[in-house]
Amino acid sequence: MTIDMSQFYQVFFEETGEHLANMEQLLLGLDVSAPSLEDLNAIFRAAHSIKGGSGTFGFTDMTEVTHILETLLDRLRKEELVLRPEMVDAFLAAGDVLRAQLEHHQGGPEADKESIRAVCAELETLASGSAGQPAVRRLWLECTLPADMAADSAGIDNLLAALGDIAALEMVHRPDAETPRLACWLTTQRGDGELRDTLSFYAFSEDVLLSDRGPSDGQAAQGQAGSAADVAYGFFSDEPEPDTATPPSAGDDSFGFFDAAPGAPDPAAAEATGGEGDGAGFGFFEDAPGRPEVPHAQTVAAGDSPAAIEGPGYGIYIDAPGGMGVFADAPGARGLATAPADAAPRAPAETSPGRRVSDNPQVETVRTGRRETDKVATAVGGENSSIRVAVEKVDQLINLVGELVITQAMLAEAAGQFDPVLAEKLLSGIDLLSRNTRDLQESVMSIRMLPMSMVFSRFPRVIRDLAGKLGKQVDFKTLGENTELDKSLIEKITDPLTHLVRNSLDHGIEIPEKRVAAGKTPNGTLTLKASHQGGNIVIEVMDDGAGLNRERILAKAREKGLAVHDGMPDHEVWQLIFAPGFSTAEQVTDVSGRGVGMDVVKKNIEGLGGKVELASSPGHGTRTVIRLPLTLAILDGMSVGVGGETFIVPLTAIVESMQPTVDDIRTMGGDTRVVHIRGEYLPFIPLAEVFGLPGVEDPSHGIVVVLEAEEGKAALFVDELLGQHQVVIKSLEANYRRVAGISGATIMGDGSVAMILDVTAVTRMGLANSHRLKVA
Amino acid sequence: MENMASIEQTGIATSGEYLTFTLGAEEYGIDILKVQEIRGYDAVTKIANAPAFIKGVINLRGVIVPIVDLRIRFNLGEVTYDQFTVVIILNIGRRVVGVVVDGVSDVIQLGSDSLRPAPEFGSILDTRYILGLGTVDERMIILVDIEQLMSSDEMALLDKAA
Repeated sequence: MTIDMSQFYQVFFEETGEHLANMEQLLLGLDVSAPSLEDLNAIFRAAHSIKGGSGTFGFTDMTEVTHILETLLDRLRKEELVLRPEMVDAFLAAGDVLRAQLEHHQGGPEADKESIRAVCAELETLASGSAGQPAVRRLWLECTLPADMAADSAGIDNLLAALGDIAALEMVHRPDAETPRLACWLTTQRGDGELRDTLSFYAFSEDVLLSDRGPSDGQAAQGQAGSAADVAYGFFSDEPEPDTATPPSAGDDSFGFFDAAPGAPDPAAAEATGGEGDGAGFGFFEDAPGRPEVPHAQTVAAGDSPAAIEGPGYGIYIDAPGGMGVFADAPGARGLATAPADAAPRAPAETSPGRRVSDNPQVETVRTGRRETDKVATAVGGENSSIRVAVEKVDQLINLVGELVITQAMLAEAAGQFDPVLAEKLLSGIDLLSRNTRDLQESVMSIRMLPMSMVFSRFPRVIRDLAGKLGKQVDFKTLGENTELDKSLIEKITDPLTHLVRNSLDHGIEIPEKRVAAGKTPNGTLTLKASHQGGNIVIEVMDDGAGLNRERILAKAREKGLAVHDGMPDHEVWQLIFAPGFSTAEQVTDVSGRGVGMDVVKKNIEGLGGKVELASSPGHGTRTVIRLPLTLAILDGMSVGVGGETFIVPLTAIVESMQPTVDDIRTMGGDTRVVHIRGEYLPFIPLAEVFGLPGVEDPSHGIVVVLEAEEGKAALFVDELLGQHQVVIKSLEANYRRVAGISGATIMGDGSVAMILDVTAVTRMGLANSHRLKVA
Repeated sequence: MENMASIEQTGIATSGEYLTFTLGAEEYGIDILKVQEIRGYDAVTKIANAPAFIKGVINLRGVIVPIVDLRIRFNLGEVTYDQFTVVIILNIGRRVVGVVVDGVSDVIQLGSDSLRPAPEFGSILDTRYILGLGTVDERMIILVDIEQLMSSDEMALLDKAA
């Protein structure tokens, strides 16, 4: 059975991207001094899912990195190692490497091999290192269980599992109904107290003997012999600890991997399975507890024969992944062979292309393009709360609803001609239809809406890295992460926002010493805030840094030859930094200072129909406010008529409209006309002239619409105002080409097409026109 | 001969079904597979500063479709718009374009043997865009490579960069 795996690649790419993002977020949120086990497990699960997925799809390079990553994470979550800041750094670096590899598989440039090797080496060092760790001790444990306890085989299993959690076990004697004595060697870093605590559930503390010298005389010989003979392997955990392993029913991650199932308590079976694991690619085992002088070195030994581990006597598989490494070891039984006996028969099903282990129904849903968020997936019995749908499908839906709205408007217009008394039913039906269509449109539009947290979540990392590089201390705050924004806007706002954040960090927030000297806390605060205001979304980037330096900006502007004077109001001075090539940084760094950026930020945001404003107060900080329309697909517009054609002017650009008198129009140098409105002389731009249409000539018979364009205000002269509409923006370029002065088209209520004006371009064309006329 | 060779290469014109239409007194044929639908001429919305043969755009079930009048483009026939004026909606690549013609006549089948290369003339219709001349019942049918023609710079339908 061969199924083309490439059809599932996209699902893998998306999921892996999410896992990586999730992992990074968790890592950044991790409290290094007291990491929560839950978080560590969640990080482990993310890494594990990536490993499983990349294995299934044959991206072995990613499998290798995640495998090493997982090894370290595994030791952390089992509390064998203590989390250190450099580990978080290494994890983040590993995440970057994985992302680069992922991009490579998606057709991007090849990941830097050198950095992969460096990251892997770093992780391996950290994973094997035991610096700052309590020494590993080998202890002799002997205790006599109460008779009823000893007779209960399952109870003993539990006890051994609990012990196995905190120490590597070497069984010497397993208690049974006849001899209630437990005797074993423990290899562990834990203190006696913890071991005794574990045992206290099962045995009276006075019956417990713990020593580092071993059993007395004859027992030892017998014990060692016995251990070598049989019991050593014959123990499997069948009940993973709830906090370290996810019960299969919870369906862990999107990739249905299964936790180790109990195997037969039979050394032969364990070895057989172990052999399978080895043959399939990763023979991965921990050193035998029989040699405590070797500090838990973990080795990746591909293709090692089982004989190698038989050498020391207690070859214990921590993890015996089948070729694809899709199953998790059972954390509850660390130090014991956990290779499930039934792994071998299951492995083929697992690795056969296109098939995932269907332990849970979720796997099916993944394939049909649905998804469950991690939270839901881990919640036992959680229901599907979200689905994954291709954006094109949503766009198609939005288009169709747009059509429906237009059709409905046409119907309403047609029905308006009927006598309300005679056509009462029809009219009330149309009313209902219009309400339903509006609701439908709103809900469909909301599908594309994503919370701002999608953008904000990437900043903790950016800030952490940058603050580290700049030697600054920064607290990062976000407000209003749940504010929703159209998906296309979310994608486009990320870069400008990143730029502003970097700017704030580099130029705004001072180094700790300076801050303290200025009487501020050494930690700067950077705040990102999103909120809805009217039909706009407002995103603010605030810092409590030094603020903008008015003098320096003015000096720089003079240097650049910009028209400035000392009496300029602050907000105009701040706008200067959006000029191309403007940078007041004394030194060009790799962070910022080249002066490319703020102008690009401004251009990008204006390209989205938004605005950028700056507010700053010296010594107190800077605030950048971005205003954006909620969506790119719908626009509030004023329809104007010129020469029989209808045009839509975006409402955001309109300041006011008025009917001029003949006296308001003055000429300048003969042909150039200006309008005198409230003490201002604005260029007079007849739209009919710009587009070569037969429009109204007499200014007093038309309407002047005052526009706020990039070049400043301008008075657009049109024949008439028709009304105000919400219009669905349609691309002209899809089937035609870009038209100067037109930003798009829309379909009006009567089914006709109207052009949407590009205000800036029209103003520019109008000004150029008058220039041309003057020259001619 | 060159044209014959190109016919062989394109493989479009070797044999297939053509939609024939009239422009003035001339009869043209285009590959039927490029035709999406045929509809009557309706009011268009003019595009500012566009060449005269681009009549404007229409709303075709929610899609903005530019309309080209081939009669103006080729200086053929009297340009009138009445109830018989027809718009052929074409699918060119991933684009949708409408062309105004005088009337749609027929769908014909033409084998490669009945195609003759168009003589090289400095005509307004560049021979680059002519697949060949076909003969049906003593009528000459000019087979146009409509995809090439509509994508050409002269039609100004596409952005140059695109």
